[in-house]
Amino acid sequence: MIPESFEYHSPQSLEEALRLVTEFGEEGKMMAGGHSLLPMMKLRLASPRHVIDLGRLNELRYIRESDGWIEIGALTTHFQIESSSLLREKCPLLPETAREIGDAQVRNLGTLGGSLAHADPAADWPAAILALDAEIKANSAGGERWIVAQDFFVGLMTTALAPGEILTAVRLPPLPRRAGDAYLKLRQPASGFAVVGVGVRLGLNEAGHMERVAIGVTGVGLKAYRGAAVERELLGKPPTARRLAEATARAADGVQTNSDLFASAEYRKHLASVYVRRALELALERANA
Amino acid sequence: MKVEGSRQLAAPREVVYRCLMDPLSLAQALPGCEKLDPQPDGSYQATLKIGIASVKGTYQGRVQILDALPPESFRMKIEGKGAGGFLKGEGTISLTAQNGGTLISYSGEVQIGGMIASVGQRMMQAAAQQMVQQFFDAFSRQLPAVQPDAVKSGGLPPST
Repeated sequence: MIPESFEYHSPQSLEEALRLVTEFGEEGKMMAGGHSLLPMMKLRLASPRHVIDLGRLNELRYIRESDGWIEIGALTTHFQIESSSLLREKCPLLPETAREIGDAQVRNLGTLGGSLAHADPAADWPAAILALDAEIKANSAGGERWIVAQDFFVGLMTTALAPGEILTAVRLPPLPRRAGDAYLKLRQPASGFAVVGVGVRLGLNEAGHMERVAIGVTGVGLKAYRGAAVERELLGKPPTARRLAEATARAADGVQTNSDLFASAEYRKHLASVYVRRALELALERANA
Repeated sequence: MKVEGSRQLAAPREVVYRCLMDPLSLAQALPGCEKLDPQPDGSYQATLKIGIASVKGTYQGRVQILDALPPESFRMKIEGKGAGGFLKGEGTISLTAQNGGTLISYSGEVQIGGMIASVGQRMMQAAAQQMVQQFFDAFSRQLPAVQPDAVKSGGLPPST
C-alpha cells in the first residue's frame, strides 16, 4: 500500500499548472480529488514520476450564472454541487446526480472535473453531462476551447482532451420551457459505481409533446453515450406509455455492452431499457407538475 | 473471460491472412507493441506497453500460432506477465470471404490474474474489447487499399 516514489508538485495558479503539465508530458499525472488516482498508485498499478496536484487552484472552484448559462469550475466537489442552492433551483439534475456518487468521503473530496477527465465507464457525471448538452472547457498553453459533451467521451477512460490540456470548467445551456429532468441509477452494492445510470432532460410544448429530449446512459458501454435511438422515437410525439415502452427497448441499440462478475451484458442491456423508461417517466411527471 | 466478435475488412482473404502472419504489420497493429521477435520454433517473443488511463504496465510474453490452415483459420496461444499481473489466452481466428472483402471472426478464452484482475474486474471485459478494436483499426490501415473508392480518395485531388 505504499506507492513508488514520485515528485509532488503543487502549482498555485492555472498558468503554473499548464507549464508543469507541458514540461512533464507523459511522465506527469494531474490529480484533482485523488480518489481514483491514489488507490491505483498505492497498489502500484499506476506509477507516475510526477504528480501535479491541482487542489490549490481555488480559482477553479465556483458555480455561477451568466446570460442564462450556468458555469461550474472543474475543482468544484460533488458535495458543493449537491448542496448548491443555485443548482437546486436552476438545474436540479446535477444535485440529484451528485447525491448518488460513492460515499460521503468521495463526495467531499472528489471533483466534477476530475471525474469527467478520468472518464470511468461507470461514473455518474457523464450521463448527466450528456443529458444536459453541457460543454467542457479545456485550457492549454495555446489558449482555450469548449468541447460539446457528445464529442468529449471517446472510449474507455479516454476523452477528447489533448496532451497538455487541463479541464477547467463545465457550462450548461439554459433550461427549456416546461422542462423536467431525472437521474436514476442502479448502484453496484460494493463499489457504489453505476451498473446502469441514466440522466434525462426533456422539454414539453403546449400540447404536452416532447419538444426536446436528451438521454445520457452510463455503466452500460465502453463509454457513456446518448440514447439517440430512443430520442428519435420520442421527439415531437405524445409520450404515451406504449410509445415509451417501445422506444426504450432501444436504449442499448448499437452499443457494445459491458459485462463483469456482477452483471452480464444481456442483463445490462435489459437494465438500460428499464432505467431509461423509469427516468423518462419521472422527468415527465416533473415537467407536468 | 470470453473474448469474441467479428470484423469486416476490405481486403481479400489471402491478403488478410498474409498480413496476420507478417511480424512487421502485426507489430504495428498491436497496441503498445515495443518488440515482436520471431523465434526459431515459429513463436514470437513480445513486449507490449499496455495502458488505460493512469494504469500502465510493460508486459513480456509469447505468442504462438497453431493449426494454421491458410487462408482459412489458425489458433493463437498467448501468455504474458508484467508487474500488474499475468495473462493467458487461447482462441481461434477464422477468415471468410464476404462481399469482396473478408469477415474475420475471433473467439477465445482469456485468463487474467494478479493485482490488476482483482481490482479491475469490472473493467476487464471493456478493456479487452477496446484493445481488440484498437488492433483491428490499426490493422485495417495496414491492409493494401483495394477498393476503387479508397484509391481515389487517397490519391491526388481530382483536377477540374
